[in-house]
Amino acid sequence: MSKFSAFNVPAPPRLVRVFLNQLKCSTILVCLAIPNFSHAQESAEEPVEPSTTAAVPQPLTTWDWLRRMTHVLTNSNFQVALVQSRAGNETVPYLWRHAVLDDGTHMEQLNLQNGPGQEHIRVNDIVSVFEPDVTPYSLRSNIIDGPLPSELLYYPERLKPSYEFVSVGRARVAGRPAQQIRIVSRDNSRFSYQLWLDEASGMPLKLNMLDLQGALLQQIQVTSLVIAEVPHPYFSRINQELLPHPMEIASQPLREHGWEVEYLPVGMREVRRDIRRLALTGQVVEYKMFSDGLVDVSVYVQPVSEAVGSDAALRHELNTFLTLTDGNAQVTVVGEVPLQTANAIATSLTLTSVNP
Amino acid sequence: MIKNDLEVNIMTQQQEKLSAFMDGEIDGNEIIDAIKTDDEMQAKWQRYHVIRSAMRKEASVAPQLDITASVAAALESEPAILAPKTARWKSIPILSNVVPFAKQSGQFAVAASVALAMVLGVQFMNQPAPTEPFTTAPTPTIQGGLSPVSLEQTREVPRNDMGEVLERNRKINALIADHEQQVRLQQAQDNNSADEAEEQDDRP
Repeated sequence: MSKFSAFNVPAPPRLVRVFLNQLKCSTILVCLAIPNFSHAQESAEEPVEPSTTAAVPQPLTTWDWLRRMTHVLTNSNFQVALVQSRAGNETVPYLWRHAVLDDGTHMEQLNLQNGPGQEHIRVNDIVSVFEPDVTPYSLRSNIIDGPLPSELLYYPERLKPSYEFVSVGRARVAGRPAQQIRIVSRDNSRFSYQLWLDEASGMPLKLNMLDLQGALLQQIQVTSLVIAEVPHPYFSRINQELLPHPMEIASQPLREHGWEVEYLPVGMREVRRDIRRLALTGQVVEYKMFSDGLVDVSVYVQPVSEAVGSDAALRHELNTFLTLTDGNAQVTVVGEVPLQTANAIATSLTLTSVNP
Repeated sequence: MIKNDLEVNIMTQQQEKLSAFMDGEIDGNEIIDAIKTDDEMQAKWQRYHVIRSAMRKEASVAPQLDITASVAAALESEPAILAPKTARWKSIPILSNVVPFAKQSGQFAVAASVALAMVLGVQFMNQPAPTEPFTTAPTPTIQGGLSPVSLEQTREVPRNDMGEVLERNRKINALIADHEQQVRLQQAQDNNSADEAEEQDDRP
């Protein structure tokens, strides 16, 4: 236990308090898990002790670890194989590479390894997407939208208003010593995460997404990790001239709605509102999107005559789908939030005097 | 007159599409919609199937016997053991259900189809009824996916309000697909602005 806590000493006072609170709960869990746990600790530590003390002379804080992660992700040549598993779904394997070329160009590749495949290639701030049955296209974006949430990887500090980041201690993941970080929403209204970072490099090794009861919703696990001095030869084979030109996304004008959402989870804010037709049915909807950086929630309002009909609550992959009818309007909330939160958002809808 | 010609034209086109779809030559999203909304097309669809199975000599079905209708009718007259209650939707606020439409799409693709909603429709309806008055055998398990309509598989038989259920699922799918598309779009836009901000930060 002493080794265990030594890593958390220099955390800021607020985090320490939180950590102590967490500790009370987690002590019970640790006691239950001791037989397995101690074994794992011993076997993991023996061979790696010298190298970690060399690489990490002082214990790092949670935010040090997160900054290291962002740094290594944006500045190193790496190749990662990872799998994504969701309850009731098949495991999806990905290959993920990043390189910084001699001329300073950042290149990144994300390849879906099963089936006909899907390939994302990023050259600096242009992402090209190749997938079956769709003409290749490019977008302006400085990150590839992969299985790991990009906001967490590259801008973790932006999640501070909504989530608490707490170091839990050491563990062993993918055969490497790792640091575990818990990511919990401040008002407990969203799913929580556990992130494991490689102690030697700071690379993410595993990410669990848990529901409010602690059941696993999604797991992303790195199965192999190589950090190299030189870029992978793959990147030299890409002919940048032949990549499609980036599409321009026209930003939508803001539209006024006759309703507002009164309740929002802490740190969540409105990022979009418009009036649109749904691509599949052509129905007109009033639409607002709310985001805390990690999850996006959509709220749709439709006239009852066009809407789904009865009230329903469903789960589609990680998304909760909740639709409620109230008088003449049907409110639908879709997003990766617990049903209780979706319900709180949907029922907090109030009419404003503004009539669009 | 022109209008009539047009209608006739559309009819023949659809008929061609229907048979092409039955032979697996085209992808059926459009035609499924047509079948769903048009009684005449439904009748044709059914007739074609009877004819085809007769030609393949697998017809235990006499051409005039509409087996789906008769089974459905039988179900109607049966007590509530087999027929799931629609009221359940309203009375149970939390009903987790996996909506299994296949999806591995890129940053913009919309992934959903009516054909998959069809599979859903059946699965929704085959949720075991919450109150089964006299279950003596082990609790019936949920049958996965569509299975051939036959007299033994009564739980799989579509009901008369199938159209409504399909329509409902189509709308649910539309909303979920739209949400996923919006999330991707939002991320692309976020990253744009993030990029600009970062570039400014990076410069000393």
